[in-house]
Amino acid sequence: MGKSTIASAFALSCARRGERTLLMEMNTQDKVSAMFGVDTVGTEITEIEPNLFAVNVTPAAAMEEYAVMMLKVRVIYRAIFENRIMRAFLRAIPGLNELVMLGKAYFHVTEEENGRHVWDKIVLDAPATGHGIFLLQIPNVIMSILSSGHMFEEAQKISDLMRDPKITVLNLVTLAEEMPVNETAMLHDRVSQEIGMPMGVVIANGLYGRQFSEEELSLLEAAQKDVREPAVSRMIDAARFRVQRANLQEKYLHEIDETIKLPRIDVPFVFVPQMNSEALAQIATAFSSAAEDK
Amino acid sequence: MNNAFAQLIKNKRVVVCVGSGGVGKTTTSAVIALHAAIEGRKALVLTIDPARRLANSLGLDTLSSEMMRIPIERFTAVGVKPKGELWAMMLDMKESFDRVVERYAPPAERDAILANRIYEYFSTSLAGTQEYAAAERLYELWDEGGFDLIVLDTPPTTHALDFLDAPKRLEDAIDNKALTWLYKPSLLAGRAGLGIFSTGTAYVAKTLAKFTGAELLDEFSVFLRNFSVLFDGLRQRSGQVRKLLTGPDSTFVVVTAPDALTIDEAIEFFKKLGKEQVQVGGFVVNRVRTPWVDPDDLKRPAVTVVGALVESHAHFENISPESLRDLSRRLIDNARDFSILSEVDKTSIARLTSVVPTHVPIQKVPFFSTDIHSLQGLDLVRHAMFKLR
Repeated sequence: MGKSTIASAFALSCARRGERTLLMEMNTQDKVSAMFGVDTVGTEITEIEPNLFAVNVTPAAAMEEYAVMMLKVRVIYRAIFENRIMRAFLRAIPGLNELVMLGKAYFHVTEEENGRHVWDKIVLDAPATGHGIFLLQIPNVIMSILSSGHMFEEAQKISDLMRDPKITVLNLVTLAEEMPVNETAMLHDRVSQEIGMPMGVVIANGLYGRQFSEEELSLLEAAQKDVREPAVSRMIDAARFRVQRANLQEKYLHEIDETIKLPRIDVPFVFVPQMNSEALAQIATAFSSAAEDK
Repeated sequence: MNNAFAQLIKNKRVVVCVGSGGVGKTTTSAVIALHAAIEGRKALVLTIDPARRLANSLGLDTLSSEMMRIPIERFTAVGVKPKGELWAMMLDMKESFDRVVERYAPPAERDAILANRIYEYFSTSLAGTQEYAAAERLYELWDEGGFDLIVLDTPPTTHALDFLDAPKRLEDAIDNKALTWLYKPSLLAGRAGLGIFSTGTAYVAKTLAKFTGAELLDEFSVFLRNFSVLFDGLRQRSGQVRKLLTGPDSTFVVVTAPDALTIDEAIEFFKKLGKEQVQVGGFVVNRVRTPWVDPDDLKRPAVTVVGALVESHAHFENISPESLRDLSRRLIDNARDFSILSEVDKTSIARLTSVVPTHVPIQKVPFFSTDIHSLQGLDLVRHAMFKLR
């Protein structure tokens, strides 16, 4: 669906509007660095463009940050949490990894320095649908199993922030195609009903755009029979392909509007061999006016 | 027909489609089973996706966890005369895993497991459970012997082998020393040598409880204690599943998209499966973009395209010369757009070809201009996949 691309482009548009922005990848193979042409983004926050910072959150790193914060002393953390058996244990506790990763995101949401928020905007590139729902429902799941303790309190804090429309908004990224639209509609319903997160916009990515009007295409097709040059005939084939695909996408844009009641932002397909910062900047312009957000 | 991919499918009784998410695995699985059914076999496709449109195009409302016969006689409408039967079934992961519990847990533990809140929320997210449930169901259906061919569409995963390793990974996750300590504390009583547990157990336990809350530990330990009774059954059955999947009746097909990143993942699958003695019989590369025009022709001036169009005597007289030049320029630009994508695909498929032995077919399915979720569309894909004329 191009979720990472959209998250990166959106973060870039925020940064260029002057917001101090943190782009978070969630324990995945880092894609941000390749798109921006910078060194690998790891678990340390690094600046990749003026005003734009990135980090790849891993459960281990998030756990350490959290535990050190809780236990106050790093030496004690080492003694307890870096023990081999203990680590195996922590890995196995259901939901803990997801919780500490969300916990890190929301730590930065509330992080202050000299009475001011450190970050104007935090953009989280969440996992794809199935894992995404799992991640986002973890605080609620934990609250339903527990009734006290650190994990419970942490889950409650995160859950409150996640559902606060002044703080959080969930934007959906989809393609104007059969399976992605269905999946996104399902995601939309489940997140709004089961998790209660505020929803922002639905972003239709990779739109071909109609390069030729129907009249132009019918003229070209009429001419094709008599065109003697094969190369020009093939160009007309390519034009037909573009128009047919664009028509198909338009049909699915209607379906998006029917099934997902959110404002829609259209993002054009970028015909480049590999995503780079120039192409990202091009996509970012789609957000500059549209997504006025949190 | 001497097409290697068609031959491969013809000779197998189990085809497992693996690959990353969003590469068309479900449709590919359905088309493989459809082709076998058209050729006269009794084929079953096991999918993990309700695939509504795919189901619609096959004449069903939706795929469900009940086994359903697909009315493939409808394909006569597109000039195909099916000789066999096509059946479909969707795997509900939670339901499949509940079946595993029901099968292997003694009655006393069964209800306790199914009612446990940890199980309820996490049974489909514990390492490998989904894959295991799918493999288990596949084995069951194969064992019953009702089909000539079963095609399995697997959950999108970055680890192809979660599938075969699932029981072992489950066991590792639950059967490690630390966890055993949680649900069998008596084991550790009086034993030394477990490092921090023997010296500072109380402190660690206290810290841990502070961290997670005592309830979670309690609930989790109950879950583990009950769940561990499944292991003997799982271990035995997983041996049989592995034997089926690595045996001569089965083959794995890696499904991929043609972009560089996804091809990298497909190569990873191939290497990992090879290390496990699993035969990858073939690759399907979906949505390969067409190079409409030779790169040299993209460099030609727009005016030569104008010339070729005007020469065709079509009704271009109502169009101003400026508009015609603009149209020609857009024709070239559009062809260039797709040429860029086609180059990307060509490069990554070449990389795949260089890694894969020549006897393993790599089947390319083009990116079609129309929706493939229709009888015609599916037949188009079938023709491309099995190289039919």
